[in-house]
Amino acid sequence: MKRFLRLGWILGAIGVAAAIAAPYVLPPFLVSILTLIFIAAILAASVNLLAGQTGLVSIGHAGIAAAASYGVAWASVHGLGVGPQLAIAAALVAAVSLVYGLTTMRTNGIVFLMITLALGMVTYGLALKLSTVTGGQNGLTNIARPEPVAAYWQFYFLTAAVLVTVLVAMQVIRQSPLGLTFRGVRDSESRMSSLGYSVATAKLVAILFSGLFAGVAGVLAVWNSEFISPAAATFARSAMLVVMVIVGGVGTALGPLVGASIVVGIEHWVSSYVDRWPTLLGFLFIAVVLFAPAGVVGAMQQLGQRWPSGGSRRRRPAVGVPNRDAG
Amino acid sequence: MHRATDRRPRLRVAATVGAAFALLVAACAPPGAASPSQAPAGSAGTGSASAPAASEQTGSQGGTVKIGFISPTTGFVAALGTDMKRGWELYWEQHGTTVGGVTVETVFEDDAGDPEIALTKARRLVEDENVDLIAGPILANTAYAVAEYAADQGIPTLQITGADDLTQRQFDPHVLRVGYTSSQPLFPGGEWAYEQGYRTAVTLCPDYAFGWESCGGFVTGFTGAGGEVTKQIWHPLGTQDFSTYITEIQAESPDVVFVGSAGGPDAILLYQTFADFGLKDQIPLVGNCCFADQVFLRELGEDAAGIRSFMYWVEGRESETVQAFVSAYEEEHGEIPSLYAAGSYAMADVVARTLEETGGVIEGTDFITAARGLSLEDSVYGAITFDDTNNPVGPVYQTVVAEREDGTYWNVVEETFEDVSQFWTYGKEAFLEQPVFSRDFQSHE
Repeated sequence: MKRFLRLGWILGAIGVAAAIAAPYVLPPFLVSILTLIFIAAILAASVNLLAGQTGLVSIGHAGIAAAASYGVAWASVHGLGVGPQLAIAAALVAAVSLVYGLTTMRTNGIVFLMITLALGMVTYGLALKLSTVTGGQNGLTNIARPEPVAAYWQFYFLTAAVLVTVLVAMQVIRQSPLGLTFRGVRDSESRMSSLGYSVATAKLVAILFSGLFAGVAGVLAVWNSEFISPAAATFARSAMLVVMVIVGGVGTALGPLVGASIVVGIEHWVSSYVDRWPTLLGFLFIAVVLFAPAGVVGAMQQLGQRWPSGGSRRRRPAVGVPNRDAG
Repeated sequence: MHRATDRRPRLRVAATVGAAFALLVAACAPPGAASPSQAPAGSAGTGSASAPAASEQTGSQGGTVKIGFISPTTGFVAALGTDMKRGWELYWEQHGTTVGGVTVETVFEDDAGDPEIALTKARRLVEDENVDLIAGPILANTAYAVAEYAADQGIPTLQITGADDLTQRQFDPHVLRVGYTSSQPLFPGGEWAYEQGYRTAVTLCPDYAFGWESCGGFVTGFTGAGGEVTKQIWHPLGTQDFSTYITEIQAESPDVVFVGSAGGPDAILLYQTFADFGLKDQIPLVGNCCFADQVFLRELGEDAAGIRSFMYWVEGRESETVQAFVSAYEEEHGEIPSLYAAGSYAMADVVARTLEETGGVIEGTDFITAARGLSLEDSVYGAITFDDTNNPVGPVYQTVVAEREDGTYWNVVEETFEDVSQFWTYGKEAFLEQPVFSRDFQSHE
C-alpha cells in the first residue's frame, strides 16, 4: 500500500509535468483535444462523486452542466463581464441541482437513474423550447471567452488548474467525515439511519456538491467552444459521462480522467481516422465491463496491490474471475 | 488506511501549490506557443476584421487547394451525411478535380451530428490540415458552431443548412449558403394556396427552429395574401403517434393543411395517419422541401401520388443538369439523390466556378465575395444568383408526386416561381427589423 502510494506520487508528478509541458511541445489542435478531455474529466468526476461515493448513478448530469453553460452564454451574449457570467451560472446551477436533489434524495438505484434521466430530458426540452432566451435548436453564438484566457494555451492552463483543484477537492471530500457518510449511505442506508444519520440529507448534500463540480465543467465547456446548443444537454451526453466513469473506474480518483481521455479521444480524435469509431467505442466498453469491471484505473490498482505483497492483500478477491470465464 | 490519513495535509498542500503554480504558468506566455496564439481567438465580434493568417500561408501554393468537408456520417443523422458526401464526391468525379489551374483536394470529417465534435473537426481541418475552405455541416447547431469558429480564423465556409439567421441576423461575410433558408420556398407556397381559393389553413410543423421557420414562411405568405390560419399545431420531433394531431385537423376542417416536416419517420407516420383517417381526399395537403422527399417516396410509393409541395431541389425537374446528375447518381448508388446529395453537388459546383473566377485562389472573404458574384444559369436548383447577405435568390417549384417510367415515384414541377428571395417581397431592411420566426412569431406584417 505504501509503495503504491509512492508510485502514485511519482506518476502524479509526471502527469503534472507532462500537462505543463504539453502546450510547448504539442500542436494547438492536440492541446485543444486535451482541453476537451480535462473538461469532460471534471464533469465525469462530478458523476463519479455520486456514483462512486454515494452509490447514485445519474444519467442527467449533462443537464446541470448545460444550465451553467447557458448561464454564461446568455450573460456573455448580453455583454456582461466575467463576474455576472459566473454569478448567473452559479444561480442556475444551484437552482437546477436543488431540483435534482430534492426530487431524488429519497430514492436510489434504478429509480434515481430514471428520475435523473427525466430531469436531464426536461433540461434539454427547456433549452430547445425557450428559444427567445436559449436560441432554441440553433443555440447561442458570439460568446466571448474572458480576456485573460482568450488564447488557446492560456485556456488550456486554466482548465488543467481547475481539473487539479477539482480532483484534490474530491479527494478531500473522500477523506472527510462527509465522505465517510456518503459511503455509509452507499453501503447500507438502513444502518446509517439507525445510527442517526439523515440519509436523504446526505444524498442532497452529495448531489449539490456534484452539481457544483458539474457547473464548473459547464462554464469551462462553453468558454472553450464559445457556442452552446441543446445538444449539450442530450441524453447521449449524459450517458457518455457514465461510460467515462465506468471505463475509468467507478469510485477511483483518477478514473474520470482516464475514462474521459479514452472516450473523448475516440470521439474527437480517432474518429478522424477510423470511420466506424462508435463501434470501436462500443467494443471497448464491452471489453472493460467483461474483463476489467472495476475500470481501467480500478484494474491497475488491483494489480498494484497484488504485486508487491504477493497477492495476499487482495481486498476484492473474486471480482474479475468468473466474468472472465463467461467471456 | 488510518496511517494514510496522516499524509493528507501534505498531499493537500502539495496539490494546492501545484495548482497555484499551474495558474502562474498560465499567466505567462509560453514562448513556444507564441506564434500561433497571436491571433486573438476570442474576439467578441464575428471576427470579420481578424487577419486570415492560415489562408495566406497556404493559398494556392503548389497548385492545390484543400477543402474540409464536414458531414455527419455516424449518429442519428448519418443518412443525410452519407448523402452529402456522395453528392460532393460525384461532382468531382464527373468534372475532375483540376479547376482554375489548381487541384482540389478534399478532407472528409465526420461530426456525428454533434456541435462539440463538429467544432473539434473544424479545428483539426484548420490547424492540422491547413484547409482553405470548409463545406458543411448540415444541422443548424453544428453549422452555426463551425461557421463562427471558421470566420474567426478567416476561413470561408459554404453551407446548405436551412437555419434562417445564418444569412440574416447573424450574417458573416465568410459564410455563403448554397441552399435556401427554411422559410424561403414557403412564402410563395402560402400565396399560391390563397390563389387556389383556399381561405382557411391549419399548419402542422415540428416544434423547433426548422419547423417554426417553415411554418412561418407559409403563414406569412398565406395571411399576407388574405388567408386566415385558424390553427397552428406543433408536434415534437420523433412523434410516434400522430392521431391526436390529425384529429385536431379533422375537427378544424380547414380548406388546406400545410405540413412543414424535417422528413424521415415523422413524415411517413404523419402521412399514413392522415390517409388512415380518410382525410387524403377531403383536405388538400401541401408539404415543404423535406416532406415528400425520396426517403418518404421509397416507403409510400403509389400512396404518395398527388402530394403537392414547395421545393427548390426537385429530382424530376426537366433540366439537363438535374437529369444528368440524377442518372449518374442512380448508376452509382442505386437510388434517386436526396436534397442533401444535391446540395453538396451544388456546393461543389459553386466552388469549381468560383475557383475559375479567382484563378484558383481561396482567400477569406474574397472567395465568398467572388462566389456571391456568380450567376448560375443551370445549377441543380435552376437559375440562381446570390443576394448581398450570401443567400441564393432563385426559383421555387410547386411540385407534385408522380410515377416515373420505371414505376418509381418522384416529384415533378407543376409551377415555377422565379427569383424568390429569402426576404420575400419585404426587402432586406424591413424583413430584418422583425424577429426571427418562432412559435410566437409566425407572420410578417
